[in-house]
Amino acid sequence: MSEDHSLASEPNKAWYQTRIVLFIGGSIGVAILLVLVSMALYVSSGAAQLDLSRPGYQSVQNKVDPSDKFKSFPASGTVNEATIDQFQKLYQDQVNKVTATDAFNPDVLSNQALGIDAPGADQ
Amino acid sequence: MKKLIISLSIMIITVGIFASLPARAQDTDVMTDEHIARIKSNCASALATLGQIRTNDALVYVNRNQSYFSISDKLIARLNSRLALNRFDTTPLAKIATEYNGALTDFRTAYNDYSRVMTDLVKIDCSRQPVGFYDKVGEAREMRQDVYDAIKKLHTIIDQYRQAVDTFKQQHLTKLKANTNE
Repeated sequence: MSEDHSLASEPNKAWYQTRIVLFIGGSIGVAILLVLVSMALYVSSGAAQLDLSRPGYQSVQNKVDPSDKFKSFPASGTVNEATIDQFQKLYQDQVNKVTATDAFNPDVLSNQALGIDAPGADQ
Repeated sequence: MKKLIISLSIMIITVGIFASLPARAQDTDVMTDEHIARIKSNCASALATLGQIRTNDALVYVNRNQSYFSISDKLIARLNSRLALNRFDTTPLAKIATEYNGALTDFRTAYNDYSRVMTDLVKIDCSRQPVGFYDKVGEAREMRQDVYDAIKKLHTIIDQYRQAVDTFKQQHLTKLKANTNE
């Protein structure tokens, strides 16, 4: 009965003008729009740079340092000379891990390193 | 007379503009055919090296970003909070902490910019577009320098905080020792 009713209510419309087609098309359109917005946020927020599950980065995924390895300093309690000494030791230990190695040195992208320097030119 | 002065001025300006053009042209590097041929022949190995650098950079960034954030969140902020709770003046330490957080944001921004340029770079077919590829490598190198500078700045602030804690300890030694004896 209801099928008869819907057909009777849209007797002269082409198939692409029927409500069900417009509804499906609209849903797909909204879904595409939301995916585009979320992808834009994913890239612009910097989350993409932290995502090592992207294609091409799986080889280094297991080399990420676990965050719980980093010892934290208690945020409450009394403060005396020993507390400061304890902090200084902890701070120095953690800081040494990042300051000891050189990262993002621009020399690795030199023309010579990539073999694209001018023939006979010294950079 | 007026017309003569105007004509002379226009002539001098025109000559000046055209005279400056060759000087600018001399500033830019003109790529020789040999150079272009070298880029084309080393294209595959350069792209392979760039791919490895890009993958390694992503890992280094994730680890560094986490470590730098932890230094702020798990050490600096916690000491500042603890000192403030014990009614110490933490103004100099808090100032450095704010500066550190700003430098951390700069580091993240610099890396994101660099990462985007590297993504564009590895997509260039250097055997077909050697000049565009060469220019993009130069751009990526500058961006990498920005990341490097941001790291240097973070390390400087890390050192400043260490020194500030030393100074704090010296300034409040009497009170700290009194707290120890309590």
